[in-house]
Amino acid sequence: MNSQRVGVHAPPGRTWGALVYVRTMLVFAVVWALVAWWTDNPVLLPSPVTVLDAAIDLARDLELFEQAGISLGRMVISISLACVLAIPLGFAMGLSRRFDRAVDPTLEMLRPISGIAWIPLALFIFGIGNALPLFIMTYAAFFPILVGTVAAVRSVDRRLVDVARTMGIPQRTIVTRIVAPAALPSLLVALRLGVALSWTAVVAAELIGAPSGLGYAVEWYRELLMTPQVMSFIAMIGVIGYLCDAGVRWINRRFTPWAQLRR
Amino acid sequence: MTTALDVHAERWWSAAGVGLLLPIALLITWQVLGTAVGTPRTPLPVNILKAAAAMIASGDLPAALLQSLGRVFGGFLLAAMLAIPLGLLMGYSRSAERNLDPLVETFRPIAAIAILPLAILWLGTGTSAAVAIVGYAAFFPLIVNAVAGAKHVNPTLLRAAATMGLDRMTTIRTVVIPAALPSIGVGLRIAMGVGWTAIVAAELAVGAKAGGGGSGGIGQMMFVFYAYSIELNRIIVCMIAVGLVALLLDRMLRALMRKLMPWASP
Repeated sequence: MNSQRVGVHAPPGRTWGALVYVRTMLVFAVVWALVAWWTDNPVLLPSPVTVLDAAIDLARDLELFEQAGISLGRMVISISLACVLAIPLGFAMGLSRRFDRAVDPTLEMLRPISGIAWIPLALFIFGIGNALPLFIMTYAAFFPILVGTVAAVRSVDRRLVDVARTMGIPQRTIVTRIVAPAALPSLLVALRLGVALSWTAVVAAELIGAPSGLGYAVEWYRELLMTPQVMSFIAMIGVIGYLCDAGVRWINRRFTPWAQLRR
Repeated sequence: MTTALDVHAERWWSAAGVGLLLPIALLITWQVLGTAVGTPRTPLPVNILKAAAAMIASGDLPAALLQSLGRVFGGFLLAAMLAIPLGLLMGYSRSAERNLDPLVETFRPIAAIAILPLAILWLGTGTSAAVAIVGYAAFFPLIVNAVAGAKHVNPTLLRAAATMGLDRMTTIRTVVIPAALPSIGVGLRIAMGVGWTAIVAAELAVGAKAGGGGSGGIGQMMFVFYAYSIELNRIIVCMIAVGLVALLLDRMLRALMRKLMPWASP
C-alpha cells in the first residue's frame, strides 16, 4: 500500500513541505543567477534580483494587478457563459438518447478544432478587443464542460432514478433532486478542466488580439525588450492559473462533501 | 420478426441518419443565407470545398501541415526524453519527488503560450522557438503521468523484487517501467494533443508578432490568410485541417497504445 510508504517517510507536516519548497526554489534561483551572471546580457536573461525588482515596481504601480484583473474578469465571464451554454445542453444530451444522437456528431466535428485555431477567423469577425478573448475562452471551456456534464449525467446510478420513478416522482423533480446532485461532483471536475483550458486560451488570445490583459502585457514588454517585466507578467500568469485551479478544487471540496467520502 | 442483425443495421442507420441531419441542415442554411445576405467575402461551404481542393492540389496545405507536424514531433520527443525518465525517478524515489516537485508545480500553471515571448527572445522566430513551446507544453502532462504511473506500482511486486535481491536499476527496468507504461501512454496522448494546440498558437503568434516573417507551418498560413490576403474560405480550410490532424493523432496514439499495451484499459 502506498499509505505504508507514506507512514515510513512522512514529512513532519506542512512547515517541512514549505521548507523543502523554499530550498528547491532557492537552488533554482542561485542557478539562474549564475547563468545570468555568466551570459551577462540583461535583455536576454536578467538576474532574479532584477526581475524581483521589476515585479515589485509593477505591483506598486498596480499595473500587474490591473492587467491580471482584466484577464481574470474575462475568464470569469467566459466560464459563466460556457457553463450556461454547456450544462443545460449536457443535461439534455445525457438524459435523452435521441437528442444526444441528433446533436452529438455535429459537436464531435467541432470539438477537435482547438479554440486557438479559431483566432484568425474570430479576429476577422470581432476585431481586436474584448469580444475576441471572450469568444475564444468560452469556446475553449465549452467542450470539456459539455463532455463532463454528459458523462456525469450518464454515470448517475440508474437504480436511484428507477426508485424515484416507482414512487411516482415527476421527471422534473428527479432531474433537480437526484440527477443534478449525483452529477455535480464529476461536473465540477469538468469545470476544473474548463478553467485550465480557458486560462491557456486567454493568454494566446490576448497575445494576438486584445489591447489589454496579461497576455498583451507580456508581448508589449517583449517588444520594448524589457525582459524583467516580461518575466514578472509570465509569473503572474502562473500565479493566477494556480489560484484559479486551487479555487475550483476548494469549491469541489466545499460543495460536494459527499463525493470526497467515497475516496 | 426482425433478426438481431436487422435491428443492428436499422439502429446504425437511424443513428447515422439522425446525426447527419443537423450538420447537413446547418451547412445548407449557411450556404443559402450566405449567398442571400453575405458579402463576396463571406465564406460559403461550396467555396470552402473549392479552396480546400486548390490548396491540396497546389501542395501548400500538406506542406504546411507537415512542417507543423515535424515541429510537434521534435518538441514532443525532446519533452519525452526529459520528462519520462525524470517522472519515473520522481515516482520511484520519494526524495527525488520532494525536491523536484516544487519546480514542476511552480512552472506547470504557466501556459506554454505565455513562454512564447521569451522563446522568441532567446531562439528567434524560427523553428526552434516553436519546438521549444511544444516541448514546454508537452513536458508537464508527460511528467505528471510518469510520476503517477511509477507511484502506482503494486507494492507487492516491489517487495518481491527486493526479496529476490534485485538491484535498483533492474527493479526499475523490470518492475516499475512496465507497470508505469499505461499511465505514460495516457501522458503521451495528452501531450500530443496539447503539443498540437501549442504549435498552432505558437505559429499564429509568431506570425502576428514577427510580421509574417517566414516561420511557416499551418498556424502561420492561417495568419497570412487573415492579415495579408483576406481569404476566409482558406482560413476555414486550415481550421478543418487542424481539427482533422488533432483527431488523427489522437486515434493513432490510441490504436498504438492498444497494440503495445493490451494489458492497459483503454
